[in-house]
Amino acid sequence: MMLINCPHCGPRAQSEFVYERTVDSVAPAGASNDEAMQILFTRSNPRGVDDEIWRHTFGCRAWMVVTRHRVTNEISQVRAVGPEALP
Amino acid sequence: MTGPSRPNSGQDISFTFDGTRYSARAGDTLAAALLANGIGLVGRSFKYHRPRGIMTAGVEEPNALVTVGEGGRAEPNTRATDVFVYDGLAAQSQNRWPNLSLDFGAILGLAAPVFSAGFYYKTFFGSAKRWMFYEHFIRKAAGLGNAPRDADPDRFSQRAAFCDVLVVGAGPAGIAAAREAADAGKRVILVEQDDILGASLIRDPQELDSAWAKESADRIRASGGHILTRTTASGYWEHDLVTLTQRLAEPGQVPANGVAQRLWHVRAGQVILATGSIERPMAFPHNDRPGVMLSQAVRTYVRRFGVCPGQRVVIATNNDDAYLTAHALKEAGAQIVAILDARPAPAGQEHGFTTFNNAHPLATKGSRHCLKSVSGIVDGIPKSWDADLLAVSGGFTPVVHLHCQAGGTLEWNDAAQAFVPGQSRQNVKTIGGAASPAPVFSAAPVVPAKKSFVDFQNDVTLADVDLAWAEGYRSVEHLKRYTTLGMATDQGKTSNMGALARLAEKQGVAIPEAGLTTFRPPYTPVTMGLFAGTAAKDAGAHKRRLALFDVHAAKNPIWQPLGYWFRPRAYPMAGESLAEAAMREARSVRTAVGMTDVSTLAKFEISGPDAVALLETVCATSVGKLAVGRGRYTFMLREDGFVFDDGTVWRIDENRYLLTSSTGGADRMATHLSYVRNYLHPELRVSVVNVQEHLAGIAIAGPKAKSVLATLTGEEPPRHMSTVGAKIAGVAVLVLAASYSGERAFEIYVDARNAEPVWAECETAVVGTGGCLYGLEAMEFLRIEKGHLVVGGEIDGRMTPLDLALDKMLNTGGGFIGAAGLTRPALSEAGRRQLVGLEAVEGSIPEGSMLVTADGKSPEGHVTASAFRIMDGGSLALGQLADGFLRHGEELIATSPTRGQKARVRVVAPHFYDSAGERYRD
Amino acid sequence: MLHPISMTAQGNAIVTDVTVSTLPSAPLWAFEIWNNPDAVATRFAAAAGFALPEMGTSGGSDALRLIRYEPTVWLVEGDASALPSILDNDGALTAIGGGVTRVLMSGRGWRRLLMEGGVFDAESPAFAVGSSAATIIDHVNIRLLVLSEDACLAYVPLSYAQGILHFWQEAAKALD
Repeated sequence: MMLINCPHCGPRAQSEFVYERTVDSVAPAGASNDEAMQILFTRSNPRGVDDEIWRHTFGCRAWMVVTRHRVTNEISQVRAVGPEALP
Repeated sequence: MTGPSRPNSGQDISFTFDGTRYSARAGDTLAAALLANGIGLVGRSFKYHRPRGIMTAGVEEPNALVTVGEGGRAEPNTRATDVFVYDGLAAQSQNRWPNLSLDFGAILGLAAPVFSAGFYYKTFFGSAKRWMFYEHFIRKAAGLGNAPRDADPDRFSQRAAFCDVLVVGAGPAGIAAAREAADAGKRVILVEQDDILGASLIRDPQELDSAWAKESADRIRASGGHILTRTTASGYWEHDLVTLTQRLAEPGQVPANGVAQRLWHVRAGQVILATGSIERPMAFPHNDRPGVMLSQAVRTYVRRFGVCPGQRVVIATNNDDAYLTAHALKEAGAQIVAILDARPAPAGQEHGFTTFNNAHPLATKGSRHCLKSVSGIVDGIPKSWDADLLAVSGGFTPVVHLHCQAGGTLEWNDAAQAFVPGQSRQNVKTIGGAASPAPVFSAAPVVPAKKSFVDFQNDVTLADVDLAWAEGYRSVEHLKRYTTLGMATDQGKTSNMGALARLAEKQGVAIPEAGLTTFRPPYTPVTMGLFAGTAAKDAGAHKRRLALFDVHAAKNPIWQPLGYWFRPRAYPMAGESLAEAAMREARSVRTAVGMTDVSTLAKFEISGPDAVALLETVCATSVGKLAVGRGRYTFMLREDGFVFDDGTVWRIDENRYLLTSSTGGADRMATHLSYVRNYLHPELRVSVVNVQEHLAGIAIAGPKAKSVLATLTGEEPPRHMSTVGAKIAGVAVLVLAASYSGERAFEIYVDARNAEPVWAECETAVVGTGGCLYGLEAMEFLRIEKGHLVVGGEIDGRMTPLDLALDKMLNTGGGFIGAAGLTRPALSEAGRRQLVGLEAVEGSIPEGSMLVTADGKSPEGHVTASAFRIMDGGSLALGQLADGFLRHGEELIATSPTRGQKARVRVVAPHFYDSAGERYRD
Repeated sequence: MLHPISMTAQGNAIVTDVTVSTLPSAPLWAFEIWNNPDAVATRFAAAAGFALPEMGTSGGSDALRLIRYEPTVWLVEGDASALPSILDNDGALTAIGGGVTRVLMSGRGWRRLLMEGGVFDAESPAFAVGSSAATIIDHVNIRLLVLSEDACLAYVPLSYAQGILHFWQEAAKALD
């Protein structure tokens, strides 16, 4: 069970989080239909570092991008995404 | 057999082994107590039923497996060396019939050549009859203990812990490390699988002694540290999470507070492994006989337990450590007949023992119960000694399991002929004997391969390793699987290195080049109940209770699980079956009025100026033109264009909407909405709040529903697909006029805290109007007849809006999730399955049946839900059928081979009742 | 105790050093900001007399308490009538109290009790009086508020309350 450093809550157990998908599977706004389907179905799936979208579902419910090595599970960065962080 | 230091407290503990009563001393392991009672034969081996005794004094024990405890508490395959005797302990030997001493299964041993490596695989080749022939008696004969038939009466706990330093192993190195960390003010957890700390200090007294161990423990505790005994660090996971299995009661023992074991999840800042090493046996014919023990184990029994396992002892070694055993035995009054030292010349000081160099054991003789003589070879010349105990030491294997589980590498230590921890990926280091094992003499003696056991628990000999090699199995991973080496419950703790050395010898390479198999958790076997935790005692998860649970329970309904929820399926009257009750309830809705609890529906309150923008992204229908107080049906698509949920959307205020969707998809929808709002569109000025549980829901349906509602609220009820706020029983409610049943119907939503008085008032009005409560079964009848969809049934994740005939409702403005996916050409090709109705021509349509044509081709569709006409009788169903829209009128067969049921059906439109929707209107 | 809450006899389980009980239901709200957070914070502090609490903390008193579990959403307990005008067009207040059961753990053993079936470090000194945390315990999403060294409040989904209460009562018997 990994330890994920939530940008809002600090380090928390993986059980509090849900993996959603990889960043590269999300079509940017304005992508054509063909581009969107290409992005959805054709992924890089690297044996190494990838950017993944996770949600702290059982914690602060916020979304984040976790940069994780898929072999060693080393997490090099966790980036907050979502509405503007508040004071 | 009582040695000099055996504690004589006078408080003997009574236990039984195979039904015979024996006594033990406080602190004895079962193995120590058995040895003290002169019991040499403890079990029968897995494959050949060879008599086996006690070989070790620790968790690595391969031979002395017993079943401890009775009834649901029985724990099979318990190592006699890893259970501490308590009063009343009941142990049974395993894998023998009719009894341990006279075991008919031992005849398999005579047929040993047949059951060599790869036996199982070979029986699969050639005639299937061969396996059929063998299977019957192999299943009966091979194996270890039997799983208990009764449920375990005890509870299992799971607990998290956090610390700066986790120390695994409370030998001298581990205690010192934990003490140092505690002194430095760190949060420390020290774990030890034994029931005392520093047990090796009793075996081998040093400058540090048991008093030091106790004083250190006190210091660690005083500074806030935790010390857990009878606790095994069994798994090392990502980011320095270590799982510990703690025994709060011994196997088979009634736990003091109901909890038998605890599974700890420890997240550590740093992990220090002081796990020591495991002594290796030596391979030679009949090395598995009772009376052949590991040298350090013999010393442990003598010094710690005061039990001397033999009086005339031969010691075989390739290192210095075994000489300590000779001294211990001598102190205990045993006679050292000979020491066979593999090393070519005397090492170190004169011991005063009869020592032979360049000497190896070659065979043992004895009975089922004990050893009688040892033969060996000294400088190439055979010799023989009368002896009742052979203590062997083939060197030491560091316990590197946790280091490897953590992703660490190993390095080869040539002097010790052992792998030691190398690089670590996580914050872990190994200290003590596990990091620097004692040196040994490396040359392996030449011995006959037959009956020279390397894996005692799975009955694997050197001959099996050789055979695997001869049959072409070159890699260590193949060797392991072909011979089953290291795959028993001991996971090869004593055996892997011996076999690996043999493989390397065959390959003509050094041991490190032969490779190693993977170390996987758990380090020692873990009871299944511990993984389940408290869920072992229940449904496996918490049941979700309706806010109105007590109200329903008082009516004693038939309950139905729906996800984690439990909802009333029907409210039978006295003597009514489920089907009768459901049909009565459904008819009440068709002819008068009924009410039901719809609280489990997913509900989201969506507010803000950009609420419409969010809804029109999530929903595939348009929402923008909805006036305040109006609602409409909607459905949602995945990005690939398939429908994944449906529901209704209501504009309850200028900038406030209520979205409902399916019960089963509630969590998925909550995540989806959050993803769209936060990840895709963080710029939106919108708040999405999950009010699934905040609002309890009551549906009232039927031709009299409108008049019932008017009575309840004192106001004109809203027209179909409209919503108003009202009061019932003085409580503020939200009334939505929506229908799932096909009748004029209303959903009443109320703060769950106030649901009971509202329900009670509604029930009084409904029953007073000649209506009744209805459950999920009646709801199914009603919606199937009406042709309404259910998520998980018709909406199964493989249907597009077109397949479900929902395409005319699609938002022509686009912009919704799934719009791009829908453009994929395959989604509009011919041959797709489409929603149809089915009515029985003959027979009654089986649930879940497939739709086939009379000429016996492949199924062309399936039934998603079947029911009966509520007022008129007759079987009908909804289904998916290839090109179904074009096949109305065609006759098919709905067949369910698993139920042995079928019916002739006609394809029709999926609306069997009021297809014009006139009953909704006033 | 920071938060004097009337105890009920409902579902009480007296154990060695922690007592678990359900509290009477209370109106609760979700206070969400979508725009102009600084302006809302300023308006809030001026009107409420205390600052909007930071992540993992709480603020206010029994009259009005805000507990922050999410980056943009606060749990509100008490008199929320002034909040819609503070939010103005920059956020929304939504009632959620019907779906939440409040469970009080009193006695020094609450920290250890929370480790049972949990994954969050409730034994950390950093989880001090006034701290809040959302986590998962025995598969149930739970929101915690530290009231004092002797008391912790848990906000539990209504449907799971019975199950988790039973879990805590059983666990409390074997805390050792």
